[in-house]
Amino acid sequence: MKLTQIVQAAAMIVFVGCSNINPDGVDVTELRPDERGFVAGLGIESQDLVAIAEKMARSLVGIPEIANAQGQPKIVLEPVLNETRFPINKSLFLDRIRVTLSKNAQGKLVFLSRERIDALEKERELKLSGKVTGGENIKANEFQGADFILTGKLSGISSRGTKGQSEYILYNFQLLDPRTSKIVWEDFAEIKKQGKDDAAYR
Amino acid sequence: MCHSRVALAFLIVTGCAAPPIQKAPTANPDLVIEGRRLIANARAEDKNLWRYRVVMEALKRGQFVEARTLLDETLPDISMLRALDPKARSTHRLFTPESAKTFVGEPFERAMAYYHRGILYWMDGELDNARACFRTAQLFDADAQKEAFACDYLLLDYLDGYVSAKLGADGSDSLKRARANAKQITLPDFDVSANVIVFLQMGFGPVKTTVGRNGERLAYQEGHSTAVAAEVRIDGVKTRTAPWDNLTYQAVTRGGRLMELILRDKSRIKTTGDIIGDLTFEPGLILTLPESTQNIGFALVGTAFLAKAVAGSTETRADTRTWNNLPQFLAFTAMRAQPGPQHIEIEFFDAANKSLPAMKRTLAIEVKSRGDTVLFVADK
Repeated sequence: MKLTQIVQAAAMIVFVGCSNINPDGVDVTELRPDERGFVAGLGIESQDLVAIAEKMARSLVGIPEIANAQGQPKIVLEPVLNETRFPINKSLFLDRIRVTLSKNAQGKLVFLSRERIDALEKERELKLSGKVTGGENIKANEFQGADFILTGKLSGISSRGTKGQSEYILYNFQLLDPRTSKIVWEDFAEIKKQGKDDAAYR
Repeated sequence: MCHSRVALAFLIVTGCAAPPIQKAPTANPDLVIEGRRLIANARAEDKNLWRYRVVMEALKRGQFVEARTLLDETLPDISMLRALDPKARSTHRLFTPESAKTFVGEPFERAMAYYHRGILYWMDGELDNARACFRTAQLFDADAQKEAFACDYLLLDYLDGYVSAKLGADGSDSLKRARANAKQITLPDFDVSANVIVFLQMGFGPVKTTVGRNGERLAYQEGHSTAVAAEVRIDGVKTRTAPWDNLTYQAVTRGGRLMELILRDKSRIKTTGDIIGDLTFEPGLILTLPESTQNIGFALVGTAFLAKAVAGSTETRADTRTWNNLPQFLAFTAMRAQPGPQHIEIEFFDAANKSLPAMKRTLAIEVKSRGDTVLFVADK
């Protein structure tokens, strides 16, 4: 009788070890947006930033308003609006696009600094007041107005469940004409990612 | 006789060994600085746990830069998918405890990390990033076993909608979801003109423990809060708020974890090993006495030792590392006040609606002329 129990117990060890749980996770995979994933999302990473900034800069530099412009169009960057579930450094995308545009546009574009307008105004006032030199050269308000405003919006769809998680992010960028409010140019990029944690975290 | 003298001498010598002198640990009275030291000295797997704890201490002390820095160190790590993490995989093995994995916390703890980062983004005027954090926090609650308990933080849905409304978008869907889940509280309409945003928290949150024969299942000791309501007064206006979310409820309604199936299997092996050890040891010992059955006897005794060794080394306990200074209740209110210096009073009340004077706060604040003035107030 005891021998039978021992055999049963040993068999239990073997069979329990062969349980049908699949504890392994699935590595993160990048999918085409039109490809159906088995679940839903991951975050905005540096490779996305670089790829999207490059794509947008290439798309933007070729439009007639920029390519055939008389003189140098002046562009102001407005921080992107983040509607995703990922907190981001909002100026990062536009900074990356600006750098790429500056590199590719070969002096066709001028970017105006508005992020530092307070510091610029302060410096201008210091010059005008004579507290620092250079005020004699300021004849009028020389801060330039923008011909275009470059901005964007990040939107996303997230899902998470027992099967894993996935993320779709739409990166939408626009060049606006502030005089007419016309959308002069618009382009987008989209990325979908999915993955599954190891069982230890599920 | 000789042996007993040697044994006696051994006992005396070992008995006279002076215990090692250990200095009492010195701790810095500033808990955030002390926390920094604890983070630095913690195992790599426990650093996030200590960061969480220090973040809460920093928030309570108004050291928001410290809290922000620590959360920014933690959030990328707790958001990562660890599909191929060898530390995580090692916990599937028989002899490795669950606590060998890098701590990221249960969903309610991860949600709280994002919730608090969202508050800090709001303080910095980055409303869309604050909303992103509230959305991520809610998403951590998405894989609750029962759908009814998934994504059911009232406050996170409300804040998602409220921030959207403040940004000029439509937040009504989020408000609708929050109201659908609100059973014991009436959620106010969004006041986009409110410029004093008060995040309140009360009591002590849930603490993890284990249940099951071998501690293989995760359970929670319920949190506690003496305060169950708060009244906020500023600029001649007062508002009263009850708890919006209960973290013990959020912790226990997550349901079973997949990891528990692994721990259950380990527990079965442990129990089986114990049974085999118990069943084979005594018969084996008896069988070693007659010469004719000695071989079988030794085999059984060997089996008993082996089975007991396996059972004794099998790590079945669920991971009970807890972010143990989280609150029991979260609450929120948004009010209007004139920009400039103001005094804000926060009074807490118990279940019998009696004021709790020891918890009362009066804060001198500067209401911003542009954007929101965001306050974080804890009853402890």
